[in-house]
Amino acid sequence: MSVPVGLEDLLAAWLPTQRWFTGKDWPVSAVRVLEHTAIGTEHRVEHLVVAVDQQAPTGPTSTVYQVPVEVRADRRDRIAHAMLGRLDDGFVYDALHDREVTGRLLERLHAGDDLGGLAFHRVEGAEIPVRVDSLVLGGEQSNTSLAFGDRALLKVFRRLVPGTNPDIEVHAALARTDCPHVAPLLGWFDGTWADPTDGHPVHGSLGMLQTFLVTATDGWRLALASIADLFAERDLHAAEVGGDFAGEAFRLGRATASVHAAMRAVLPTGVWDDSEVKATAERMHERLEDAIREVPAAAPLAQALHRTFDALGDLRGGLPVQRVHGDLHLGQVLRTSVNWKLIDFEGEPEKPVDERVLLDTPMRDVAGMLRSFDYATQHTLLTEHPDDPQLAYRAGEWSERNRGAFLDGYGWVAAGDAATEQVLVRAYETDKAVYELVYEARNRPGWTAVPLTALERLAS
Amino acid sequence: MSHHRLAPLGSDPLWFKRAVFYEVLVRSFADSNADGVGDLRGLIGRLDYLEWLGVDCLWLPPFFASPLRDGGYDASSYTDILPEFGTVEDFSLLLAKAHERGIRVIIDMVMNHTSDQHPWFQASRTDPDGPFGDFYVWADSDDRYPDARIIFVDTEASNWTFDPVRRQYFWHRFFAHQPDLNFDNPAVHDAMLDALRFWFDLGVDGFRLDAVPYLYERDGTNCENLPETHAFLRQVRTMVDAEYPDRVLLCEANQWPEDVVEYFGDPDSGGDECHMAFHFPVMPRIFMAVRRESRYPISEILERTPAIPSHCQWGIFLRNHDELTLEMVTDEERDYMWAEYAVDPRMKANIGIRRRLAPLLENDRRQIELFTALLLSLPGSPVLYYGDEIGMGDNIWLGDRDGVRTPMQWTPDRNAGFSSADPGRLTLPVVMDAVYGYTVTNVEAQSRMTSSLLHWTRRMLEVRRDNPAFGLGAFVDVGGSNPSVLSFVRHFGDDVVLCVNNLSRFPQPVELDLRRWEGWRPTEMTGGVAFPPIGELPYLLTVGDHGFYWFQLAPPEDRP
Repeated sequence: MSVPVGLEDLLAAWLPTQRWFTGKDWPVSAVRVLEHTAIGTEHRVEHLVVAVDQQAPTGPTSTVYQVPVEVRADRRDRIAHAMLGRLDDGFVYDALHDREVTGRLLERLHAGDDLGGLAFHRVEGAEIPVRVDSLVLGGEQSNTSLAFGDRALLKVFRRLVPGTNPDIEVHAALARTDCPHVAPLLGWFDGTWADPTDGHPVHGSLGMLQTFLVTATDGWRLALASIADLFAERDLHAAEVGGDFAGEAFRLGRATASVHAAMRAVLPTGVWDDSEVKATAERMHERLEDAIREVPAAAPLAQALHRTFDALGDLRGGLPVQRVHGDLHLGQVLRTSVNWKLIDFEGEPEKPVDERVLLDTPMRDVAGMLRSFDYATQHTLLTEHPDDPQLAYRAGEWSERNRGAFLDGYGWVAAGDAATEQVLVRAYETDKAVYELVYEARNRPGWTAVPLTALERLAS
Repeated sequence: MSHHRLAPLGSDPLWFKRAVFYEVLVRSFADSNADGVGDLRGLIGRLDYLEWLGVDCLWLPPFFASPLRDGGYDASSYTDILPEFGTVEDFSLLLAKAHERGIRVIIDMVMNHTSDQHPWFQASRTDPDGPFGDFYVWADSDDRYPDARIIFVDTEASNWTFDPVRRQYFWHRFFAHQPDLNFDNPAVHDAMLDALRFWFDLGVDGFRLDAVPYLYERDGTNCENLPETHAFLRQVRTMVDAEYPDRVLLCEANQWPEDVVEYFGDPDSGGDECHMAFHFPVMPRIFMAVRRESRYPISEILERTPAIPSHCQWGIFLRNHDELTLEMVTDEERDYMWAEYAVDPRMKANIGIRRRLAPLLENDRRQIELFTALLLSLPGSPVLYYGDEIGMGDNIWLGDRDGVRTPMQWTPDRNAGFSSADPGRLTLPVVMDAVYGYTVTNVEAQSRMTSSLLHWTRRMLEVRRDNPAFGLGAFVDVGGSNPSVLSFVRHFGDDVVLCVNNLSRFPQPVELDLRRWEGWRPTEMTGGVAFPPIGELPYLLTVGDHGFYWFQLAPPEDRP
């Protein structure tokens, strides 16, 4: 069956209204269907990979998207919000919103079907639920996630890039361990499409299915609840209030260590020699220089911060590196009834895939979480209690206490050379705060004080 | 008068799965003969009140003859009643009068040990070769079973004590005046089964079996939960099933649920040991969850609780005659609980806290209601503690655990209406402080005021009785967007109840994923107000500080 006549025009109008669409302001010059596969039988469901050609400020650009659509003879009021429009063939809907057809994806995953350009894979032994209603979950930037009942979560990547998505790669590897701190991978699907510029076939990940963590709440919300409790007391120390988070922070540290150990066991590891360590420190120096040019308020700290990176560069004897989470913060961890789970091993989404899978020291993740504790307190301070020195002091106590508990749980001192890890965490935390400084200065100038205060602490 | 929905006595062997239990201390409930000590006839006189309140089964802690060095858990006879409580005839009358009202009665039975004043022990120490010579655990040295922990660490240095009469050591897991019976001796089995039959024949509806895990001792073990103990319980159960169906065995084993579950016996037979067992850790977890404003302490322990055989039930409680037990929380958590709840060191006893519910919660009515609502809706049969329905206080200046055993406060009159004896003669002084004293806190005042805690409790028991899901239903944690809100569904057949509990002192919003019940219509159960039907999108609720909702979910109208 061929693509319905006029579909490209519908897509050209509809795609820029989707939150996962990049460059909403750039004029769309063309939408091209790169690949299409029929995946439904009772209903007409076409799995499309399309290229969107746009005129970006920097020049012409093409982005590849995954768009499963459904063409039906009748109108479905229930999913009116997901209608692209009407063609001669019928009404066209975003198929991910129609729970009458999303089950097909699960059936195909269950069967491990290979449809040519589109292949479905089931993790060995995984139980994939079928005949369960799905619901599109809100709030995501670059994917569309569907919850199938309370059993499984299907993440459909919208912007496609060649290669295996690190999230699938890491979860598939961790499925071979008994690490309890990730959501088990059940299956995934991938496909082949024509590269939008040269037309050569490329292969890449399209989506993944995991166990749905039905009782989960993200760590950011837990931390904010604890901070709200602390701030309501004012005159009690962080250790004294009922909403103390230290026990959770300790368990979170333990979970992070467990995931790192599992990743070491089943994914590539390596050792950075002295020159690689030196090069890493050099990049941190450069980023700091760039940041100070952009935010001169940080200039008085420069000398002390450079010394932190010097200490990293002076480390000798080889530094063990491994695959890491890459973007660990309180929003990337979920508390279930049983324990903490780490999610989203995609790495920083802005970076190309080959950079996201580079080996690094696990202290990158530790530093990321430490910065996140700081952000949780500062978020509440800035949004609800600006200019309140008493609470600012309490916030500092909360950060200190939970950073300590997290590091204790991680087994920071116990594992390996404490002095080395101290240098590493300090350097990575500083580097992260430098990145935040630039980000905030560009996007939320009112928040610049958050990384700046952190840098002051790190410089002292 | 309340209308009991439980099946009539004798017709439902699973009655205990839906029952609300009420622990009543005979000594402290009502005194019929003005001697300052509560008694069985006094209790009989208060059965109308208990029927009005809506409890289904009374649990009477020990009232056997005893030197009372451990609140009666040191029996000097298994078939005599402490004279100050009354006679066996009085007890028979209590059973008859309670049964007339549809109220069952279970009693405490300490099988592990007796008082050292028991004639068996006296015979055993003086005549080692006589018929009772082997009734207790004797040894020439005090070094056997070194891995058995000492339970009463405050008072006991060893599990062995030297007896100067027999010139041997005897084994005791509790106080040194409570020698453990020797269950390796078949004559002890016979004696114990005869004691149980004595009370069953009088008509008791069951036993709370005290200190069950410790019946046997074996080298190289911690002497707890041994296979021989389970074998003996199966022997007891076989007798109950054959001779006394419809009666219940409630096991007290202060252990983690995954260990306690062994005391239900074989799941394939629906359970062939105890019908019920206390779920100890859920109680401190409720306290902790509210202090932490986090649902995880409760969610976690329920998640860790294994399934139990089909004909069995947990017993759960907030407070009882013992201290708030903290053995079932980790050390870190125990330190925390002490810091939070035992402001005065005198509040600590052994490894627990000796307070009543209301003072533990600083008499905060909203928290008392939240805790009680949790007790009545979490899986298991709730056990109320006498006086907590009116928010009674405690007296921490009384020794041991007596602080939570003061006389029931019936009226603002002399001795709180508990007794007409001289106040100085009372078994324990009535609470007289400004907040919880009997002039303020008493049954009479609260029964006249429909906004009282007493009326609220009665209403909640009524709602619970109307919904079999609470007693019989499955438990589904529905999580939700807010870590401070504990939400769960109980469902049994077409009876589906959604409970939403705000553990925080601040009002909270929560979004619940209730798609499994899409199209169902929630009705708030205490007021009957209809809420919007459940749709595909997350169900949004806002809950006041320490507030809770119980919703009944009605199936979509277009469904049969």
